[in-house]
Amino acid sequence: MEKRTVFSHKLLPYALLAPQLLVTIVFFYWPAGQAVYQSFLIQDAFGISTEFVWFENYRSLFSDPAYYSALGVTALFSTVVTVLSLSFALILAVEADKSLKGAGIYKTLLIWPYAVAPAVAGVLWLFMFQPSLGVFGKMLNAAGFNWNPYLNSGDAFALVTAAAVWKQISYNFLFFLAGLQSIPKSLIEAAAIDGAGPTRRFWSIVFPMLSPTAFYLLTVNIVYVFFDTFGIIHTVTRGGPAGATTTLVYKVFSDGQAGGDLGTSAAESVILMLIVIGLTALQFRFIERKVTY
Amino acid sequence: MADVVLNLVGKLYAGNIRAVSDVSFAVPDGGFCVLVGPSGCGKSTLLRMIAGLETVTDGEISIAGRVVNRIEPMHRDIAMVFQNYALYPHMSVYDNMAYGLRNRKTPEAEIAARVAEAARILELEPYLKRRPKQLSGGQRQRVAMGRAIVRKPQVFLFDEPLSNLDAKLRGQMRVEIKTLQRQLGVTSVYVTHDQLEAMTLADMLVVMNRGRIEQIGEPLYLYENPATIFVAEFIGAPPMNMIGLDPAVGIPAGLSGAESLPVPPTGAMLGIRPEHLHLDRGDGERGSRLRLELKIDAIEAVGAETYFYGHLGSTGPRLVVREAGRGVVPTDGARAFLADRAHIHLFDKASGRRIEM
Repeated sequence: MEKRTVFSHKLLPYALLAPQLLVTIVFFYWPAGQAVYQSFLIQDAFGISTEFVWFENYRSLFSDPAYYSALGVTALFSTVVTVLSLSFALILAVEADKSLKGAGIYKTLLIWPYAVAPAVAGVLWLFMFQPSLGVFGKMLNAAGFNWNPYLNSGDAFALVTAAAVWKQISYNFLFFLAGLQSIPKSLIEAAAIDGAGPTRRFWSIVFPMLSPTAFYLLTVNIVYVFFDTFGIIHTVTRGGPAGATTTLVYKVFSDGQAGGDLGTSAAESVILMLIVIGLTALQFRFIERKVTY
Repeated sequence: MADVVLNLVGKLYAGNIRAVSDVSFAVPDGGFCVLVGPSGCGKSTLLRMIAGLETVTDGEISIAGRVVNRIEPMHRDIAMVFQNYALYPHMSVYDNMAYGLRNRKTPEAEIAARVAEAARILELEPYLKRRPKQLSGGQRQRVAMGRAIVRKPQVFLFDEPLSNLDAKLRGQMRVEIKTLQRQLGVTSVYVTHDQLEAMTLADMLVVMNRGRIEQIGEPLYLYENPATIFVAEFIGAPPMNMIGLDPAVGIPAGLSGAESLPVPPTGAMLGIRPEHLHLDRGDGERGSRLRLELKIDAIEAVGAETYFYGHLGSTGPRLVVREAGRGVVPTDGARAFLADRAHIHLFDKASGRRIEM
């Protein structure tokens, strides 16, 4: 049933909405508008003259191989991180949902990484996997792997991915666990009596009932990988080596902040925004239809 | 088909909490056994042990002559109807019913035939493509029944299947379950806390209290010969009137003719069903009948019968009388009622057991 509230004063609803609207306008619409405007401008190297150039920034962007490389890195990075963090979180949630001894402790510990800031998470992983100082870095080299995330792009990508996955598992775990706990126990019992073994029960009953949760997490994770992994990348690899870990959002930063090319950077951020809007719309359109019941 | 035999079955939960102790009974092939008792009496635990959803900590349960204590639910050849129906929300009505058959690798053609048959019996044909969410409570209940019958199991287990329905629907489904069980001839064990449901459905009634069996028997036998105070008060609505008799105090005021009752030194409870008390119209021999004088507090005339509520001898225990037809007695009036000796029950106050007379 739809809930409707009737206000006695005409202005009251607007007054109640105002704080939220203000925050959205100041922190989203205004900067987004600024970015769009900025993306049509070219500044000279000293910042003295600014020229309005329409789509020149976009044109040069799409003829730049480095941009396509960042696009590819982002696509791979977001797919790998999303798939891995969702899978690990689901496995952990299923295990934690069983009535184990000390289940509460496991649950608490599993949630902790979420409280770690991305940049700190990046530093932690770098400490562990630094090739000459890190505990695991030294181990890997001692075991005969030629491990060096500073020089080897595959190693760098793996390290950033591991840190990003580790950090996101907690969040996904929490939602999966809540999802599992909201499935009535009698459904599982009915399926057991209906002759379904544990594996079949999971795939035919539990998993479909978790699909709304999984869908929500998919959307949130993609947004996470697109934006929130910036801190990890910045502390671990700074986008290197040779752009192997430069994602779209990192390129926005390195071109604009480090490179001083505000026009190109703004154009990149506008494209990034459009990609995320497009992806989210796509997900709601095509995937959500299959998961509602 | 199969019988279900319980031999000294008990359940001890972790933390030394005893839910069921020393339960033994046998449901014959095709029988309809109802476990009834107040909440927390262990009846659901017992049912779940028969289903294999709870482990059996003492004794043995056998289905069709095979001890099933250590057998998984799926291999016990049973079907269960849950209180909340436990329908799979993401599946259509058809798939809900077909799920158990598919798990057992039944050919699709046979599944279709069996589901169609069940849908016909349960009048679910128009709803096969719907999801459980799009059905009413009664229809969901039928789907849950359908899911049980398509499997053609040896035993049906029902865990308070009607308690989520409204009173009218409950009465209707009660009759349907009974008819269906007769038709299919499948041995059934049914758990309820509703004594009316228990009385009307059972061939065999098992009354439980605090994890133990109070009495087993045909419903009407239990109604007429309750073995304990608990059964006497639990079975029948309105419940049996109970009057305490204490030899140290003497016969309560307002009661006469009870002098010769074999009351033990520790005291007794005298039980008389509301319909066994009749207005003393002063027109016949009292004979050996008991005479009770009531101060009437309220009268309910519901057409076919009239209920009198009052207190024995004005300050004694509260009693109910059910008279056929319409008896007009002014409220606040005092009236005398007679009870036949053949219809009175006497229980030992200390042990709660029936005293045969």
